[in-house]
Amino acid sequence: MRLYVKATSSYKGTLEDIDVKKELKKTYKLDTRRQDRFIHLALWGAMRLKEKCEISSDDELYITSGVGNMDIVQKSNEYVNIQKEILRPFDFINMLGNTTSFYIASALGVKSKNIFQISNSFTFINTLISIYASLSVSKKEAVLGSLDLATQPQSLIKRVLGVSKEVEVLSAVNYQKLSLNADDALAIVEFETQTYSLSEVEILTKESEIKVIFASHNEDYFETRASYYINAAIEAREELMYIDASKGRYKVIRVLKVA
Amino acid sequence: MQKVNILDYYVRSSLGDMKDILRVIRSGEVESATREVNTLDGKCDVPYFLFKERVADEKSAITNAIKEVVEALIKNLSAEEKAQTSLIIGTAILDKNVINAVEDTNAEYEHNPEQFCKTSLDSYAQDIAQELGLNAFTMTIATACTSSINALLEARNLVNSGVCQRAIALGVELSLGLMSDGFMSMNLLSQDKQKPFDAKRNGLILGEAIAGVMVAKESSPWTLLGAYSNCNSRTITAVSDSGDEFLEVMQNAMELSGVNAADITTLKAHATSSVSNDLAEMNAISRIFDKQLDFTALKPYVGHTLGACGVLELAMMMACVDEGFVPKTLNCEQSINAEYIPLKEHKECTEGIFMLNYFGFGGNNTTAIIQKEKL
Repeated sequence: MRLYVKATSSYKGTLEDIDVKKELKKTYKLDTRRQDRFIHLALWGAMRLKEKCEISSDDELYITSGVGNMDIVQKSNEYVNIQKEILRPFDFINMLGNTTSFYIASALGVKSKNIFQISNSFTFINTLISIYASLSVSKKEAVLGSLDLATQPQSLIKRVLGVSKEVEVLSAVNYQKLSLNADDALAIVEFETQTYSLSEVEILTKESEIKVIFASHNEDYFETRASYYINAAIEAREELMYIDASKGRYKVIRVLKVA
Repeated sequence: MQKVNILDYYVRSSLGDMKDILRVIRSGEVESATREVNTLDGKCDVPYFLFKERVADEKSAITNAIKEVVEALIKNLSAEEKAQTSLIIGTAILDKNVINAVEDTNAEYEHNPEQFCKTSLDSYAQDIAQELGLNAFTMTIATACTSSINALLEARNLVNSGVCQRAIALGVELSLGLMSDGFMSMNLLSQDKQKPFDAKRNGLILGEAIAGVMVAKESSPWTLLGAYSNCNSRTITAVSDSGDEFLEVMQNAMELSGVNAADITTLKAHATSSVSNDLAEMNAISRIFDKQLDFTALKPYVGHTLGACGVLELAMMMACVDEGFVPKTLNCEQSINAEYIPLKEHKECTEGIFMLNYFGFGGNNTTAIIQKEKL
């Protein structure tokens, strides 16, 4: 399966130390009331993408995440179970996954299909598969946003993500504008449903003539980092084989130049 | 390719399985349980369509409850066929894994970090797929009340694009305190009955359900002709009273399905019994269809099962038509539009084209159109 990448945007917490909420107001004049940090992060990436490409109201919007908006669950739990207060309507609304995608759709002017989805393993690649399948039917274009918010205390998110204490969990948001049409594409992203064992994937990497990046849980971590590495390769005009890992199985995404 | 065939369905609801649902629909004698919710004035009990046998609030119990529905759907598949079957869950439920983690102490993590592995809303689908030998591709969609109907459309896409041969769309909604408290905080819960399109409607009653359908290219009397899904609303919780947003999604669904308003045998409304959404849906209906339209609402029988209602109400419509009728709408004594009155009696029906509406928070609106061929 192949999709053409028309534009990208990336934000990773360690590379840019900014107050996302303030920047949203200052740079894009967005009303950030009634929203939370997860939604702000999603909007920041979306607005950066909007600067780089034309987004149609008819584009399909897919938003994916490692675990979703854990921040609002923490906040609501504290409010209801510890402070013994009543759940506030907008906190309740913000707990629903598609609230984030609603605000993104509104900011981008998208009025078509809008899906918030999570796949426990390989959430980025599996969302690419969903988009490929959807565009094959609809013949439209799609915007894919992948976002992960590092919450405090980190022990909690590390537990949910299943990563070790030593790993630093980051906030990141990465977008791609995707199409089945090659016109004006920056790159091709190639992927498949197949998973590989370690020995199989080692053969693939040895045979690869392009740069290989192996997903590691021992670095600065966020669940959808495949999306970040894809964007980085496209930005650097490099071809890349990215190997994502989950529970001892591996999936491969390739970034290829457009012929 | 919009079309895909619907091979089978299986449900677990507050009324029981589909045989139990049909028995209650025929008798019209519906009873709900109650559950405690938190309000500004303290705690109170509200009606709630709860499973008769409670699903314990832990991952293994939830996984087993979902697995029972999946197993019923795949019971006749070979190992090879199972490996070519993908599972997509649609749910509005909040991630109980995350909630449990939040509620646990951090000290527990510090003492036993190795016991934890990655969990997410999709963990249920992934664990079940692995245990039952289904395709490794799993996905969980959270688009509020449209979650499982959108899961069905994604399942259709996977089959029609050749990613897999079969796909199961599952709607899952279990009772959760934060969810019922949230609806209560928005004054959306009825204290007595759901009264779809009734002048005295006063809100919805929540319900639990796990419902699944399997789709494939194999022949079946039932076909999903087409559907349209969008994100368009006036605010995050409401559309225009005129029903413009619902009108758009219903018209586009008909166009994509290759049918006209006159072709629709019966419309299953979303009909939450909330003041604003029923008004908008009625206005959209009256702008598309003439007064002879037969339409009904199913939520008074099983409650509003949120993310599960897409597949549950689809399966209920299929089961009723397979039994030769379309169910009447309960509790609508005076329609908000005197010229458009939901079915007051069960209607004989064995075939036809059916429009199914689903409208949710977050601007997610979906209309699907299904057909049962003459046998």
